[in-house]
Amino acid sequence: MSDTNLMLPESWAWVIFFLPLISAVVITLFTRNQPQLSGWISIAAVSGSFLLSWLFFGLLQQTDVVQVPAITWLSVDGLSVELGLLFDRMSLLMLLVVTGVGTLIHIFSAGYMKDDPSYSRYFASLSLFVFSMLGIVLANNLFMMFIFWELVGVSSYLLIGFWFGKASAADACKKAFLTNRVGDFGFLLGIIILWTLAGSVQLDHLEQRLVASPAMLGTAAGLVGLLIFMGAMGKSAQFPLHVWLPDAMEGPTPVSALIHAATMVAAGVYMLCRVFFIYQVTPGWPACLAFLGNISALDIIAWIGGFTALIAALMAIQQNDIKRILAYSTLSQLGYMVMSVGLAGTTAAMYHLTTHAFFKAMLFLGAGSVIYAAHHEQDIWKMGGLKEKLPTTFKTFVIGTLALCGLPPLSGFFSKDEILATAFNQNKFLFVLAVLVATMTTFYMFRLVIVAFFGRARSDSAEHAHESPRIMTVPLIVLAVPTILAGFFGLDAFLNPAAHVSANIFDHLFAPFNHSPFAAVFGLGAVLLGGTLAVSLYWQAQRDPLPEKMQCLAQIMRDRFYLDEIYTALIAVTQGALSFLADAADRYLISGFVVRGVQGTTDIMGRALRLVQTGNLQNYAFVLAISVAIILLFVFRN
Amino acid sequence: MSILLTSIIGLPFAGALAVAMIPRNNRLIIRSVALLVTMVSMLLATYLFSEFQSGVLGYQFVHEIAWIPSLGINYAVGVDGISVGIILMGAIVAFAATCLSHEITEREKEYYFLLLMMIGGILGAFASLDLFFFFAFHEFALIPTFIMIGVWGRGENKNYAAFNITIYLTIGALLALFGLIALSVQAGANSFDIRVITAAIKAKPLTGAVQAWIFPLLLFGFGILVSLWPFHSWAPLGYSAAPTATAMLHAGVLKKFGLYGLIRIAIPLMPIGSQAWMQVIAVLCLGNILFCGFVAMRQRDLNLLIGNSSVAHMGFIFLGIASLTTLGVTGAVVIIIAHGLLAALSFGISGHIYHQTKTLDMDQMGGFLKPMPFVGAAMVMAMMAGCGLPGFANFVGESMTLFAAWKVFPVVTSLAVWGGLVIGAVYMLRAIRSVLHGPVSPMGERMIDAVSFWRKLPFALLLIGLLVFGVWPRLITDKVNPCVEEIIAMATFGQPTAKVVPPPVKGKQRPPSRKRPAARP
Repeated sequence: MSDTNLMLPESWAWVIFFLPLISAVVITLFTRNQPQLSGWISIAAVSGSFLLSWLFFGLLQQTDVVQVPAITWLSVDGLSVELGLLFDRMSLLMLLVVTGVGTLIHIFSAGYMKDDPSYSRYFASLSLFVFSMLGIVLANNLFMMFIFWELVGVSSYLLIGFWFGKASAADACKKAFLTNRVGDFGFLLGIIILWTLAGSVQLDHLEQRLVASPAMLGTAAGLVGLLIFMGAMGKSAQFPLHVWLPDAMEGPTPVSALIHAATMVAAGVYMLCRVFFIYQVTPGWPACLAFLGNISALDIIAWIGGFTALIAALMAIQQNDIKRILAYSTLSQLGYMVMSVGLAGTTAAMYHLTTHAFFKAMLFLGAGSVIYAAHHEQDIWKMGGLKEKLPTTFKTFVIGTLALCGLPPLSGFFSKDEILATAFNQNKFLFVLAVLVATMTTFYMFRLVIVAFFGRARSDSAEHAHESPRIMTVPLIVLAVPTILAGFFGLDAFLNPAAHVSANIFDHLFAPFNHSPFAAVFGLGAVLLGGTLAVSLYWQAQRDPLPEKMQCLAQIMRDRFYLDEIYTALIAVTQGALSFLADAADRYLISGFVVRGVQGTTDIMGRALRLVQTGNLQNYAFVLAISVAIILLFVFRN
Repeated sequence: MSILLTSIIGLPFAGALAVAMIPRNNRLIIRSVALLVTMVSMLLATYLFSEFQSGVLGYQFVHEIAWIPSLGINYAVGVDGISVGIILMGAIVAFAATCLSHEITEREKEYYFLLLMMIGGILGAFASLDLFFFFAFHEFALIPTFIMIGVWGRGENKNYAAFNITIYLTIGALLALFGLIALSVQAGANSFDIRVITAAIKAKPLTGAVQAWIFPLLLFGFGILVSLWPFHSWAPLGYSAAPTATAMLHAGVLKKFGLYGLIRIAIPLMPIGSQAWMQVIAVLCLGNILFCGFVAMRQRDLNLLIGNSSVAHMGFIFLGIASLTTLGVTGAVVIIIAHGLLAALSFGISGHIYHQTKTLDMDQMGGFLKPMPFVGAAMVMAMMAGCGLPGFANFVGESMTLFAAWKVFPVVTSLAVWGGLVIGAVYMLRAIRSVLHGPVSPMGERMIDAVSFWRKLPFALLLIGLLVFGVWPRLITDKVNPCVEEIIAMATFGQPTAKVVPPPVKGKQRPPSRKRPAARP
């Protein structure tokens, strides 16, 4: 790195990458006791990265990949790992999203966390998180991606458990980290197998080799695909590893916005798009999985994504905590993206990831603003009538809601439509499922908005709410801009310039209706249906009418299909029993029987020998005489 | 220059002699002498590490003194890429352990004498090039361990623990001694010098029959010393009863003697034996990783948890050795160094807590991070390093061994990945949750952080070591790699080559992107 010229724009890549780390280190070591300064350092670092990233926007107009000189981090016997940055359109888009949304969330946090005694620690963790995230986005090899994958895991652990004195927060961060670790197990194993078979961890080398000889992975192909997907399953919270995400709402609300909207949960989808080439090899299953036959790893991914989208939407319908509704909605939207990857629609997935990052970050920050204004009240049934009291929050929240539901011409419509169209072309069943989920999405989001913002205030805290300070509302307004406009320019064209030649705004606006009118019409119909249902049920409602109408079904949905309880029981009978057995064996068998046996024998020998040491000369003489006699007997026997 | 290594080893011994001569009332002087010699020794070891020439085969900084030439026994010390890192780690741990010995308040003179003897023995063992001194230095370190546990140990169990550890380690050391003597006799070089024996065996390899009985002697002898499953139960018990510094030094450094012996002596000199036994090691290492991991999950005593996790970590080292590849054994050496720093850090932290609470029952703790942010943060980092978080040196070593071993033992390695990533995380996070997180317990309100520079220094040094080697692992691997390559070449002699296909495209040059036109006139 030292010999590279700082005048070259490529060298600035390292500055983008390291700025947040420098901020985290400086805050931890030097400005711990100056909260204001720490906050500004952190904000300056992330916004600096954001601004510098635009440098590469220009560079990427001429070429597909900007080469950044790499450093060899480890090189032993065939395992060669670089610390290298890969700048192409996909990583640049993700980079802009992460640092852009990140900057706004940092600024919002400066207001939201104003009175917290650990303000500096908060911003240090935030900077560490952004740095780890940049590592995943820019990594040019899988090993480095795994390193930062883990660092994202630990920095989210620190952020979710920011209020570690609270038992629920301490449990939530532990659960998040452990669930992610289960996913990481698959990810690492997948990387190891891929390296053993293809001989590299470098993304571009792997792609070349696998394109040149698609049968290279042989019967391991499907397994590697699924193992690597396990990593995405953990970070992007796909069923069955989705359980950590709702609990992770224990962290401060801006953290939820950062982790659960724009960055960490998006990492899984991004990673799948990045390594999509490993899903395009000749399919094959090892003998133990041969029953899967013609089902490819991608099919399984698509189904898991669709299933996650469905169950998360069902759970969201009966939640009452404003942050939890958004959390389940995030799960559901991530399911969409993963389904889209599974149907080979990586561009659609990245598109939805981007627009979702904008409007979901805005919704979470809006929820944060509501919670802040309503004196930390999170139950929507204790809100009501916030429309007049929080005008800016209300307007941006509605824009975000409509974008999430997929109403044209807001950005969410275009990206969701692209996924629906992909599903329509590939798998009619998943298409129906996706439309169903879209209906439910509109239903629960309208429920949230109607109950929280309309009607009369249902509690004191809602009665006395007043709009949050400027430092918190401005980020909301800024986020509204891309939420409205992102669809106009066609991000898909940026990602994939070869496929989209002509580009004018009106083409983009009406593209969905030209491309696959069927999908677009169904998507719109879903919004209308869901919206009508929600309005008819919840307008002016004082409490939720659904539990009476649906009886135990509503209860099951509210209790998340008892999945958490089932997992707890499963862990108890497997891991709990194993550790109990191991501990018992260790205690009683190995240290008890064997070791105490050895000790016992030695002890008895010692005691026996002590008996001999009587100190009586006659006894010694007697033993001596007997011994001599025995020896003589042996000697003269022959 | 050649005196450098001898001074690193000799300083603690000289310090021990000095302590023996100082009247026992001068407690401050005794402690200062101990701190001074270990600090100078550490600084010299750092200098040694920085002056070491990477990529050069053979021993550097060799220093020889003839002792009993007729028996082929001579004092000879030197370092190669493998031992130079271990000596640096050992010297850092030694200094940190001496710093943290402030908890000892009775019979300080005897304590510091034994501590310095132990340190000298440890550093000497890893620097020795002569099998006699190699073993003798180890015993110099081992005997003070037993005495220190027995005299300054803690808890009701300390006598049983001291007895247990003595029996186990003595048996292990005896087995290894028989193996080493048999080896040098069979080599027929009339010398105990490792270099001479290696050359002799290279010229005339041992027969399969001889290897078949010497190798298991060394394997299980050294294995017991490193707590190879199922000979591990002395370790958690012994460490939970030992005074802080003893646990740090033994778990961190002295224990690695067995691994060092396996890598340096058993594997390269007896290829047939090692190839035959690697399957067994691979299975036994699962006992360490999975079995002891599960045991660690159920511990309520912090030191028993750390002790069991330390035993579990040994499994990854054995796995790396069992792979018999350069990558795996290099990874094993990296873990030896990383785990030394980590074990010392963990036991140092638990000692800091025990010193104030007089118990390590995690059920009574909680919320300690609030009253002690520095030690608490160090503990979070230690636990994270222990479950293989990137950024700490343990991750580098563990991932190297896993990458290397999958090809040879796919099932074992897959289970080991589970053990490292999931099981490790379960008990490490449980420790953080019960000790540091949650509402502040009554005990927590009285906790005092490490405030002064000297109290913080040992923790900071160990953490810096873990981070530096974790962020820039080539500091170790570039030194270790060539030496391990030579060892593996000897160990896999006669075996069909099982090397991983090296990537045909080298790291730095990347093929031009697909679309860029050739801009050449």
